[in-house]
Amino acid sequence: MPRPALCWLQAPGLEGLDPQELARAAGLELDRGGVLEAAVVNIPEAQAPADLRLRLLGRPVQWLDLAAEVGGGQPQHRLARAAASLARAAGRASLGTLAPVYTPQANQRVLVAGQGLGALEAARQAALLGHPVLLALPGDDPASPAVGEDPAQVARLAASLPAGIEFSPASRLDNLTGAGGSFQAWLDTPQGQSRQRFGAVLLTPAGGWETEPSPPGLDPSLARPLMDWESQPLSSQPGWRQVAILVGVSRPASAQAFGRALKAALALQGQPRLQVTLLFREALVAVEQGERLYRQARSAGVLMARLAQGDPRVAGEGRTLIWQDQVLGEELELTPDLVLLSQEISAPWPTFLQNEVLWPPRQRLLPEHARLDGGRTARSGFYILGALRGTAPGGERLAEAAAAAQDLHELLGGGATPLPAVRNLICARCLTCVRVCPHGVPEHQDDHIQPAPAACLACGICAAECPAEAIAPPGWSTAELLEGLKQGLARAPKPALVLFACGQSVMPALASLSRAGRPWPAGLLVQPLNCAGRVGLELILRALSLGAEGVLVAGCHDGMCRSLTGNLRARLATGQAASTLDELGLGADAVGFLHMASNQPQTLARTIEDMYGRLGRPGQAGQGE
Amino acid sequence: MCPLSAQNTPVLIIGGGVAGLTAALELDRRGLPSLLVDKGPRLGGQARGFCCKALVSCARCGACRVGDLLEQVARRPGIQVLTQALPVAAQRQGPGWEVTLIPQPAPEGSAPALAPALAMERPLAQRLVVQAGAVILAVGHQVFDPARKSRLGHGRVPGVISAGQLEQALAQGGLPGQARRIAFIQCVGSRDQVLGRLYCSRVCCGFALRLARLARHLAPESAVTFFHMDVQDYGQAWRAELAEMRADLRFIRAIPGQVRRGQEGPVVAYAGEGGQPQEEEFDLVVLATGLEPPTAAPAFNEMFGLQPGPEGFLAPGAGVLVAGTAAGPRSIAESIEHAALAAAQAGLHLAAGQPAPRGEVAHA
Repeated sequence: MPRPALCWLQAPGLEGLDPQELARAAGLELDRGGVLEAAVVNIPEAQAPADLRLRLLGRPVQWLDLAAEVGGGQPQHRLARAAASLARAAGRASLGTLAPVYTPQANQRVLVAGQGLGALEAARQAALLGHPVLLALPGDDPASPAVGEDPAQVARLAASLPAGIEFSPASRLDNLTGAGGSFQAWLDTPQGQSRQRFGAVLLTPAGGWETEPSPPGLDPSLARPLMDWESQPLSSQPGWRQVAILVGVSRPASAQAFGRALKAALALQGQPRLQVTLLFREALVAVEQGERLYRQARSAGVLMARLAQGDPRVAGEGRTLIWQDQVLGEELELTPDLVLLSQEISAPWPTFLQNEVLWPPRQRLLPEHARLDGGRTARSGFYILGALRGTAPGGERLAEAAAAAQDLHELLGGGATPLPAVRNLICARCLTCVRVCPHGVPEHQDDHIQPAPAACLACGICAAECPAEAIAPPGWSTAELLEGLKQGLARAPKPALVLFACGQSVMPALASLSRAGRPWPAGLLVQPLNCAGRVGLELILRALSLGAEGVLVAGCHDGMCRSLTGNLRARLATGQAASTLDELGLGADAVGFLHMASNQPQTLARTIEDMYGRLGRPGQAGQGE
Repeated sequence: MCPLSAQNTPVLIIGGGVAGLTAALELDRRGLPSLLVDKGPRLGGQARGFCCKALVSCARCGACRVGDLLEQVARRPGIQVLTQALPVAAQRQGPGWEVTLIPQPAPEGSAPALAPALAMERPLAQRLVVQAGAVILAVGHQVFDPARKSRLGHGRVPGVISAGQLEQALAQGGLPGQARRIAFIQCVGSRDQVLGRLYCSRVCCGFALRLARLARHLAPESAVTFFHMDVQDYGQAWRAELAEMRADLRFIRAIPGQVRRGQEGPVVAYAGEGGQPQEEEFDLVVLATGLEPPTAAPAFNEMFGLQPGPEGFLAPGAGVLVAGTAAGPRSIAESIEHAALAAAQAGLHLAAGQPAPRGEVAHA
């Protein structure tokens, strides 16, 4: 093995030290600008010039802050200390030891951007849990409610805020990158744009009323948004006879909007000589008291006009509505004096969330799916609350905010997940990991890949994708996996089937099979993974080359993967492996992929049996561990 | 076996279904130990028997969460579990309650052959008095007995099953029999003036349509007809799913009045277009049964001095919180959220020594 080279760069604090003499004393070659096998550099990596870092790419390198290690004192003492440091480094460099794992601290600051119950409660709870909080308000008054909230309730909450909350009035969150423990937020303030770091970010915009579109051609003087009307006293004008309320006619409505329409209909129907007609497609009564309110309105005399397919037409100079009635099966018409259009609470989706760099994309945050996890989003440390989420104003918003605060507190304080070790020495800085990580963990900083402290779920997608094998999730590096497979396959009876099993869906199902005492083929070799996304094309082919007759990859259903795309990546890799085997004439039957959930042990057992059927010989029955 | 006869716990959670399990976990996250009791032989509640309704994409039904919750509860030493334990008496004690539990006999019949989730069987051995700082009632709901609507033929006409029976069949492997013509009848026991059920059970449109889609997927040559009053809305993701279902399934806006025995399978009589009476034969008729208040609701009202809640479900009282479907019909996801809120309120109650205001997290 060649001796490591000493790359000597002049730096403050190293005056009077002779590199040639030190290299000799430490057993190093002095770098003269050629190709290097291994190197010791006397300055920290961040201070080194780019051309040197380029020359050292992929080599075992020891970076030293020699000036700090040498310190001051007598020249001969300094020389001795420098030589000793370099010799130790030379020993490490020639062994190819890699740079230590970067272990950062989670940033404890919390950014709450928005207003209303959710924003105030989240800020309050986070502050009580000991986090410095910045509350970025769109306006000036912390007591401004979000749309649909009770101003008195918001004012009470604003008056009870603890110390430790910093306010940033007239501010807007403009962009966000990073992940739990290490977010970078761009805030637009009256003083200009500022970029700040936070450990967690909560977004809860005030929202607004979105009005159902008016039927095309309707006289605009007739149509009013329902909530505008409600905020004024509900009284009719003299001479008014007919009021139409449209809810869910030209687009689907929510049960809350339907309930508001019913309440308005009841209030107006109570006025003398006024007839209210409610136009709708589905009676949305799936809320508390919904069915009772619907029946109450009907018995109060509100006409329930249920529309068949097709939109209502407008005739009579824009004053007459004509629709195909579903119940009567004929065309009906109405010339109302007022048309009320139902409204939904909505919030515009911030443009930075449409940015692909910050997962998750829109469809993963739809209210119903998000409900399964409180205020959380697929990016840990980033929470969406309130109107943007579809949470109803009131107690639900408080609960959601309190849950989010508790969650971020655990996230930033925990650090239970060991971070993937990034071997910056052999990293090519291609930024593949930054691109593929669904959790936003790797950050490119000071020419290093640094994992964000609190966001990693150890899914291993980065390790599957890294072309330099420079990133290794703890316990899941390619070398470790292959070694385990090699040993397992050496022992397993033939035919051997390797099952790459997702920890979320497949391992619990396997546990169920075990509990049921269900025998499975003795040649089945289960490789548990945190996420199926750890499986790449290479791992599948290597498993086959190590002696497996078949490989089955099993992961979560689409939309259920905690790492968003881990299951799809694994499915793609399985497909690639199948077509590769097919092209080589080896038969694509040896590999398979299964989407499943943790409560589908039967499906898993059936698929394993099918795989064995395809492999030709049935496996010898053995007992599951 | 549990030799104790008296015990102290910060929070007593009655009912070990989705809501009870969630409440126990949420309390544990806040550092509060709890005692979780269930009158049945194992934890998991009704959702334990539900099937996964995904095709390739997750249908977000939440059924797989039951197993996940059980695994987590089993790992937390702060959560103590007792099964076959029935609360029979309660006495106010300071801000909390003293609750007497008696052992229940082991049920006849064995557990399902393939347990989808951890069993957590910890039977109570002898009468036990529990002193708790707060009580969370997570006693769940009762599924409407479809035999009570005898004209729909359940238990009388072969081929008529409840949605729960279909769930179990699908969870254990597949569609019952050679069902090719399948009908779903909605709102059985919900939105029914005659039965005095003036509420929507909220979850049936969602689970029935997802079951219908799954049945179509498992038997692609089958045809599914969906008899309904209204299709409820579950948010934006659902609307996209519903549009696909509308294209794939046959929707008829009518609730059939009768199901009778036919030549090959049950015959459904309903009012067709313009109110014309129509009859159609199916191989399988699935009744989407609604959610009723728990049968023990009056007993709990008396035991804890509670006011009856909306539609006969349970409402919170002094030192007593209600979580999940015990408080009204809700989905698995909503039960999880609701129970998390109840746990937060219980925590505040213990901190303040006074009950939290209803529907709102108290500000101590």
